Formats: sequence, C-alpha cells, structure tokens
Amino acid sequence: MGVFETLAKYKWMLPLINKADRETKSLLMKNFRSKKKNFYPEGSYKADIDNLIKCMLCPNMCRFDCGTLQASKTESMSPSYKARVGYYLSVGKIDPTKAENKEFIDLMYKCTNEENCKVWCPFDFSVVSLLETVRDDLNDKGLMPNYCRDQIEKLKSTKTIEAYNIYKTYKEKGIQNIETDGNDDVFYYIGCETMKFPDVVKANIELLKKAGIKFSTNLDKRVCCGAPVLNIRDMDLAKELANENFNLIEKTGAKIIVSDCPGCVLTLKERYQNVGIDINVQVIHIVEYFNQLIETGKLKPQNNISEEFKKVAIHDPCLIARNLNDTHSIRNILKVIPGLELIEPIYNKEFVHCCGWSGTAHWADKDLSIKEATIRVNELKETGANIFISACPLCELGLGYGLDEQEKEKIKILDLSELLVKVI
Amino acid sequence: MNFTDFELIYKKNRSTIKDKNAIKSELIKIIGEENVSTNEVDLLAYTRDSSMIAINWTIEGKIAGLPDFITWPETTEQISEILKLANKEKVPIIPFAEGSGVVGGAIPINGGIILDMKKFNKIIAINDKNLTVSAESGINGMNLERYLNAKGYTSGHIPQSLYTSSLGGWIAHRAAGQFSTKYGKIEDIILGMEVVLPQGDIIEFKTVARASTGPQLDKLFIGGEGTIGIVTKATLKIWPFPKKRTLISYAFSKIEDSFEAVREILRENVYPAVIRIYDQPETARHFEKVEKAKEKVMVVFVCEGNEKLVDIEELITREKCEKYLGINCGQNPVEHWFETRFKVTETSSMPTYKIVFDTIEIASLWDKAANIYHHVTETVDKIKGVLLITAHVSHFYPNGVGIYFTFGGVPSRDISELQFYQKCWNTTIKAVIDAGGSIAHHHGIGINRSSWMSEEWGDSLKILQEIKKFLDPNNILNPGKVFVNTWKGGEL
Repeated sequence: MGVFETLAKYKWMLPLINKADRETKSLLMKNFRSKKKNFYPEGSYKADIDNLIKCMLCPNMCRFDCGTLQASKTESMSPSYKARVGYYLSVGKIDPTKAENKEFIDLMYKCTNEENCKVWCPFDFSVVSLLETVRDDLNDKGLMPNYCRDQIEKLKSTKTIEAYNIYKTYKEKGIQNIETDGNDDVFYYIGCETMKFPDVVKANIELLKKAGIKFSTNLDKRVCCGAPVLNIRDMDLAKELANENFNLIEKTGAKIIVSDCPGCVLTLKERYQNVGIDINVQVIHIVEYFNQLIETGKLKPQNNISEEFKKVAIHDPCLIARNLNDTHSIRNILKVIPGLELIEPIYNKEFVHCCGWSGTAHWADKDLSIKEATIRVNELKETGANIFISACPLCELGLGYGLDEQEKEKIKILDLSELLVKVI
Repeated sequence: MNFTDFELIYKKNRSTIKDKNAIKSELIKIIGEENVSTNEVDLLAYTRDSSMIAINWTIEGKIAGLPDFITWPETTEQISEILKLANKEKVPIIPFAEGSGVVGGAIPINGGIILDMKKFNKIIAINDKNLTVSAESGINGMNLERYLNAKGYTSGHIPQSLYTSSLGGWIAHRAAGQFSTKYGKIEDIILGMEVVLPQGDIIEFKTVARASTGPQLDKLFIGGEGTIGIVTKATLKIWPFPKKRTLISYAFSKIEDSFEAVREILRENVYPAVIRIYDQPETARHFEKVEKAKEKVMVVFVCEGNEKLVDIEELITREKCEKYLGINCGQNPVEHWFETRFKVTETSSMPTYKIVFDTIEIASLWDKAANIYHHVTETVDKIKGVLLITAHVSHFYPNGVGIYFTFGGVPSRDISELQFYQKCWNTTIKAVIDAGGSIAHHHGIGINRSSWMSEEWGDSLKILQEIKKFLDPNNILNPGKVFVNTWKGGEL
C-alpha cells in the first residue's frame, strides 16, 4: 500500500487524532517518523522489510489454505510465522550466521510457491515473494543452504535440473527432435521436468503434427528456463540461462512459444523481467494452445474414450490456475472428449491445493512435500475417479508420491495430452 | 539461539521442569518422535496468540510466553496419556490450535507442554436427516465451512476469524459469528462433544437436539478455555445453504434510533442473519463513500434462507427502519461489507507506529445498551493517549446485544505500552460493569479479563473455582487463565 492509499485508508482517524492533546499528537508524529529507525535493519539489505512486517503481524488470514502448514500441521510452517522469522533474520534478531540457527534459514525455503496465500491475503501478498527477498540477503552473506547449492551446481554444469543433460536423453527415450530452420510457427518448448515423462512429450509432438503445425523442439540446444535458480535467487545464473533461451528463441523465428510446463511459461513470460530480459514472442501453455486448435477445428477429438480412461478428475496446476489465470482451457478440452466423465474435486480452479512439488520445499524438506502431495491425492481420490488429469510435469511428479504401489495399479496420473492423443 | 535476544514477558511464574529430557522421552513414548519437538524454530512459533499486545511485542522482538515442548497428538487416548504424564510431573499443558485467540488464552505463560490440536482435523460425518456435522476439534473453521458449502450446507458460524480459527477454539471461548443473530452462538450450535478431563479421563456428551437429563454439564466445557478439559470432537448443527440472500442498509441519525429499529425487528420474531450497527466514527471508517451515511449511524442487514421467509423478513426490517427515520442506502454498503469482512489490516500497521490498538466485546441487555455505549466511549476517551474509542454492535437477541468496542492510542512517556493497554482494557470493563453490562460476549476471558471475574460472577465464582480444583487438582491445564488474576491490577 502506497503512502496515498495509506492516508486514504486512515482518513477516518484524522478528526480523532485532531482532538488529541499536544503530547499525544507529538508522540504519534515521533512514532511515524521513527518507524524505520525503530524497526528496520541498519546498512544495506534486499529484504522487503515493509511487507515482511505486515505479513508477520497479520493474524495469519491465509493459514487455512497454506499447503505446507496443512501438510505439516505445525505452527512454525504458518505463513505469518515464516515472515516473522524472515524479519528476525533480516534485522539480526536471529543471527543467520550461527550454525545453531540453520533451522530458521531452512524455513525460508519451505514453501511450494503455490501462492494460495495470495488468494486470501488482505494485502495481496504472495508470501514466497517476501521470502525470496530474505533469500537474497542470505545469498549475499554466503548462507545459501547446501540443498540449493546442489541445484545450482547441477544447473551450472548441465544447464538442466539433473546431474546429466536431460535434454540429450531424447534418443534413448524415443522422442523425436526437430531442429529449427529459422522459420517456425511454433517453438515447442519442452520443460526439463517434462523430459522425465517421455510419453507426454511424444503425445504433444504427435498432436502438434496432427494439427499441421510447423514447429521445432531444438533439444540439442536446449537449456533449462531458469525457474529453479530464480526460486533460489542466483540471479547471475538466471540471467545467463535467460540469455541462452532468448538467443535460441530468436533463432527459431517462432511466432509463438508453447510449453508443456507452466513453470517455463511463467518464467519466460514474466520472471525474465527480473533479470532484464524481455521475450518479445507470445508464450502460452500447451493446454491453451490445444484449446485454440480445437476451437479452430485443427484438432478434432472424435474417438470415444475407452472405458479405462473414462472417469476423470482434474487437478489444476497452481501456476496455470493462479498465475496464468486459465482454468477454462483444460476443461474445454476435456468436455469435448467423447464419452468422458469429468469430475471436479472440492478444491479446484483458482482454489486448487498444491501437489507439493513446486518451489524449493521439495529440496528443503522432501517429506513435507510428500505429505502435501498425499493430501492432494486424497482429495482427488474422494471424487471416485481413476484418472487424475493435470498439465504440469511437477504436478504429475508430486502427485505420484501421494499414491502407494497398489493404488498406482488402479489410479493413473496423466497429462492432458496423453488423454487427448487417444481421441484424435 | 536460546531466546536470550528476546525479552520474555511472562516469566515470573514459569514452572520448574527438572528433567526435560526425561519428559521428552515420555512424550515420545506416547506420541512418537515425529510428534514432539523442542526445536527452537517450533518453540518460537507458539510464544503468542493473536491478542493485540502480543502482536505489538512481536515487532519489538519480545515474546509473550515460552513453551518447553510442542506436541501434536493424533488420538484422544494420546491426549489422555499426555495429561496423565503432565499431572505426574506437574507440568502445565496449553491447548493450542490456530492461535487466533485475542485475550491471551493460548499463551504459555508458565511454560510447559503445548498440545497442538492441528492433527485433529477430520470431518467425521454429515447427517443430512439430523442436520448435523461431526468433526474433530482442531479443524480450521474455513476448511470446515468450505467442505460444508461444497456439500450444500453451512454451519452458520462465520466469525471474522473464520480463516484463522478452529472449531476447538470456538468452543473454548464461546465464540460468535457474524451471522449469529439467525444461527446463534457456538453454545447454541454444539449438540454433542468428546472431552478429555485434566486428569486424563475421556468423557462423551451424547448428541441430542434437547434433553431433560439433569443439569447441562456439557455447557461447562463450552467456554472452558482449555482450563477444565480438552474438547476433541464435537457435533454441530448445520443448515441447508441459504437459497436467497437479501442485502439491506439504512443510515440513522442517532445510535439510539438504530437500536430501537433493530430491537423492534427482533421483537417481531424476525432474525436477519447479519445485523451490524456502526457508530458514527466507524461509519466514517467503513462507509466513507456512502454519501447518505455521512455523519450518521450505518446499519447493514443480511436476510437469508427460504425465499418466502426472506421476503417477509425484508418487509418487516424495512418497516421498522423507516419507522425510526432510517435512510435507505441500498445494497452497496452490504456488498462492501461482504467484500471487506475478512480483510484485517490494522494489526499489520498499527504496531509499526507504536499505536496500541485492540477490540473489546461485551454483552448487554437492551435497556442498558445505549447507556453502556455512551459510558464506555466517554470514559475511555478521557484516558491520556487515547486517540479513538469507537464501536459497532454486531450480535443481537430479542433481549440484548453484543457491543464491540475498538480503542487505539499512544502510551504517554511515563507508562509502558502494556500499562496503557491494561488501562484501556480495565477502564472499558469497569465502565461496562458500572453501567450494568457483562464483561465479554464472544472472545472469552483468557488473561485480559481474568482480573474482572469476581466482579462479573460475584460469589458464584467460588463454585467455578471449586469445579476447577476438583477437575484439575494439580492446576496443570492452561494455568494463569480465567480463574487467576494474572494482570494483578496493572502488572504482570
């Protein structure tokens, strides 16, 4: 809230303040003037102190929908408390350089970036965006946790999220690589995480081909979009990856970038601005693109879905539902699949609960992420569906942890494309 | 860290725990290693509730109370065993769920074991024929309500703290929601409970619509604030989600006129779910853009339920408002209330300016209500440093009301913020008692009101204290609250 908004909000208090005695008025003015001196750190810092304070003093109005809190059931995972610890680390009330305080530092990374908090926040905060500013200061002090350093090392050496270049595995996975001739309509931008699901990539390629789209995949030249480093806040590495992606995108000449990973879409579309890169090409998620292809008649679902894939529950990826604000494409597509029975879980669309596998939480505390995944899977199981459909590789990865081996025989977690390809 | 950098406020009466490791081992035997913590990152999280003074302390790096152990029991039997251990070792137990209480009730002022109820979060069953839902007490209010809404029901209990409070907290503090005029307070909504007594006995109160089976012992535990038992499960009334909602607002010249209009509506046996009367400063605060309400008293109504009944309620509501010369302000102010009712922002801003700010709700019969309003606002306004004392009235009965005062100010140089806070609280409560009111409507006693229990209860407080002694002879359950004057007339 800016100064003018603050003044407008508290205008009603002015007549009341006006009638106060001189000493009270003078104390109040002193308190207004001394706010920074009283409560802000000395020296230079990157932490968003103003908003960390607001968040930590809030009675936790988003707590009921915070995935990590609901998974852990411990007060220390509540959003306001995370902000409180972030504030104490920033002002030195908790000394981040002391080894004994590592658990407080770890807390700054135990967030799945699902941003349910933002839906309910009276200030419109995403708590993770506040925690990221604390991470910035920790990084500057050389206090990045080892589990984040490990990710950085992998990304530096292979430029993907694995210890090997996951894009180079396309041949062994039977994925066709299409190199650009510099004149593509579409750059099919495959996420590093999606490479773990070759059937999804194959389905997407097949669908694009069936729609007659001229596209490339450029897997020999691909690098990670940089979302993980933006979460960890290694902004130099993020800029390096962004530049590489920018150059490759330029080379394709594509009019549109279509990705199967919502994290990639958000990174290319919005988060690159944090490192001064502007992708001038439209970036959309492949679900939105397929929906356009269906609406324009380029893709025609016509075969009846077989019995085993008939009963479907939707798991909206957080990033698509809350950041890209598109909850209709996935539904429009499923609705035109002949014979499909679509079942909505209680928590859906912009109110969806997270799969547990986004952000930095699964590095900082894998058990916590598995608990969150299990909660979400249980909600999906309540629908009675045996097919859980998503459109994000991280969701498909996370939800997989929520099912035991016996359940995996009865329930399938699929990407939308895997279902769509069966009826085209 | 060892918390040495944090000033501990409640430290005088900390219990002495000789062998923490031994107790921790015993706790682990009962609930498993994953459900016990003495980690500082956990301990710090349970050092306060949502009382405003504790929020002020947060930014100043002070902690209200410091627990020794955090536990997360998963079954009623485990709670029973923990209580038996606590009795044996004479260690305090502080029940905790969402920590949204505003009177210090969940602050571990003597240290001890926090019994976090968050794992008691299951919805056990909805019974459509009986119109009930059974749930474990640690469930978050919004998560219960969202589930009910998805199934076509509402509990009708929608406090402003809905997002951040629990079923157990509502029962502990005899809570009321924004829609209480139609659906009642929590004591009207609860039909059955399972309770663990301080020495570990588990008792169950049968779920009944009404009965005639001797004294209503179950009511003793509604409002117990975790001092005489721990509620683990409860069965609540539910209602089909309302088919129609009508939004009405009127502005009145004087608060007395608004009181009379509302009193006459209820006298007709008409119960709008929501009625909220805002005094002039609060009307300016919340309805600044409503021209017709300038310098007036705004009243908003929500009538809901069966379409035909709602139409009749609307008709009678309008008749009574117009009888007292209310100016029809349309439905926009009510829509504005719906949009902003959970947007709590003051707690986040006032402490940064060292403004001590809080709300105090009290109860009154109709014939005292206007007098209490004036007496409190006039008396508190005289306290040095007070900038504002305002009120809205948000809970109504044919016989009386719940008035919700808000005060804010800057402590003068010669007193601490706690002393100022206590002065505002004690002045308000005294003014309420002097004018014939009751000291709390729905936030409970906790620490903040405990010094006024003898004035409120008179001789009958002794009976309550004897019950506490009988049930909890070792005083292990949430000590320092409700029955004990922890503030001792201005000091800790």
